[in-house]
Amino acid sequence: MTNHSPYFTVHIITIYLSYIAFFAASVAAALYLIQDNFLKNKQTGIIFNRLPGLFFLDKLNYGAIGSGFPILTLSIISGFIWAKHIRGACWSYDHREIYSIALWLIYVLILHVRLSAKMRGRKVAQLSLLAFCIIIFSLFSSCR
Amino acid sequence: MNLMVVGINHKTAPVEIRERFSFAAKRIVEVNRLLKESASLEENLILSTCNRVEIYAVANHSKDHAGDIENFLGSFHNLDISDYKNKFYVYRDKEAIEHLFKVAAGLDSMVIGEMEILGQVKRAYQEARESRTTGKILNKLFENALNTAKKIRTDTGITRGAISVSSVAVRLARKILGQLRDKKVLIIGTGKVGEGLVLYLKKEGIESVIVTNRTLEKAQDLAARFAATAIPFEDFRGRMAETDIIITSTGAPHSIIRKDEVLSLMPLRKQRPLFIIDLAVPRDVEADVNKIDNVYLYDIDDLQKTVDETKVFRENELDSCYKIVGTSSEKFINWLASERSRNGE
Repeated sequence: MTNHSPYFTVHIITIYLSYIAFFAASVAAALYLIQDNFLKNKQTGIIFNRLPGLFFLDKLNYGAIGSGFPILTLSIISGFIWAKHIRGACWSYDHREIYSIALWLIYVLILHVRLSAKMRGRKVAQLSLLAFCIIIFSLFSSCR
Repeated sequence: MNLMVVGINHKTAPVEIRERFSFAAKRIVEVNRLLKESASLEENLILSTCNRVEIYAVANHSKDHAGDIENFLGSFHNLDISDYKNKFYVYRDKEAIEHLFKVAAGLDSMVIGEMEILGQVKRAYQEARESRTTGKILNKLFENALNTAKKIRTDTGITRGAISVSSVAVRLARKILGQLRDKKVLIIGTGKVGEGLVLYLKKEGIESVIVTNRTLEKAQDLAARFAATAIPFEDFRGRMAETDIIITSTGAPHSIIRKDEVLSLMPLRKQRPLFIIDLAVPRDVEADVNKIDNVYLYDIDDLQKTVDETKVFRENELDSCYKIVGTSSEKFINWLASERSRNGE
């Protein structure tokens, strides 16, 4: 099985789709942190008025993660299957595999704290940005 | 023909005097007709709001009609106009045109850039048309004024920002909580500003309002006026977990809501955002409450600061508004001059 394998195609398509969703989530998270900072410091000027409200940004962040996560899961599973066929093993301690699992775990954590109402708002936004940093690192490491 | 405006407004006279010259809305059509006859005007229009009474008129050059208009105002209201002469202003031609353009855009209002005046000018114009006291000049003038006002609103930032403590609070609430319709409000204390704020929130569609006060009767009074629920003061802490907006305005000499209390409340609220508006002096809520995640605490000074910033921002926009007024009035003056020359004046 080579790069023409359907698992490889699914893996590539889903990974990019999930990155798009996570990119949207992290933009919402960054804007959330900016707005939260404005609100906490009572800076309600022009930029504050132009940016969307916290409620909307929080919902967008949650929605984007909620849709990106199953796609990422599918991507990881298809990646494992493809790796098994190519290398005979699902897991080979490849840095991309480690990044993917770290990413998946951090999104599990985000969804868990959000669904169980343990965290909301600023902390969830910070976690989303952390997760996006992992995506950036993994992309850089793949380029090397 | 002579275009003029005779008027009295919040800058020249206090409300006690302005109200003596104001006209009841339902009589405007009739008064427009009476004025036209009495002052022998070719065209006239009355703009009567709580901040101004102005008469826009077109008359022929033969005599000064401003005196006639003032006399009409005096006799209609049974007042000796000579006692009020210094309260009235008279603007002619270019000044009158620019004045109306500024009025319609809210540039001459007590609160610069307020939106209500445009509707009032529109209504005054419709009423005058109904009285059949306007003609070619006032029709064109008022249509231009309404268009200029709309252009000013879209092309400048004159209407941007919130201009009262209540409107600032509602804007913030929307930014924090999104749609307010299904949100719950708890009011602790029955101060005047708090009352105004509840009225504003009610207009936003908020239905669930709980009122509490140390004197239960006062809470019940307020609750009756706003279709709210009154609860005894001792019970309000039990209702905080379900509330999205808390407004406090008690006369307590110390904090009634502490940080540790709000902190322990948040898990019960499932970390849903909480907006606390503290209108009391001394403050009812510990300042550190604002440090808790998902809790936003604003006191009366914070809200007032935003109002002041809006005022400064709008004042800075005035120059660009005046430029639009200048361009529009120039166009109208040219049109008026061509009309005059066509009539051989």
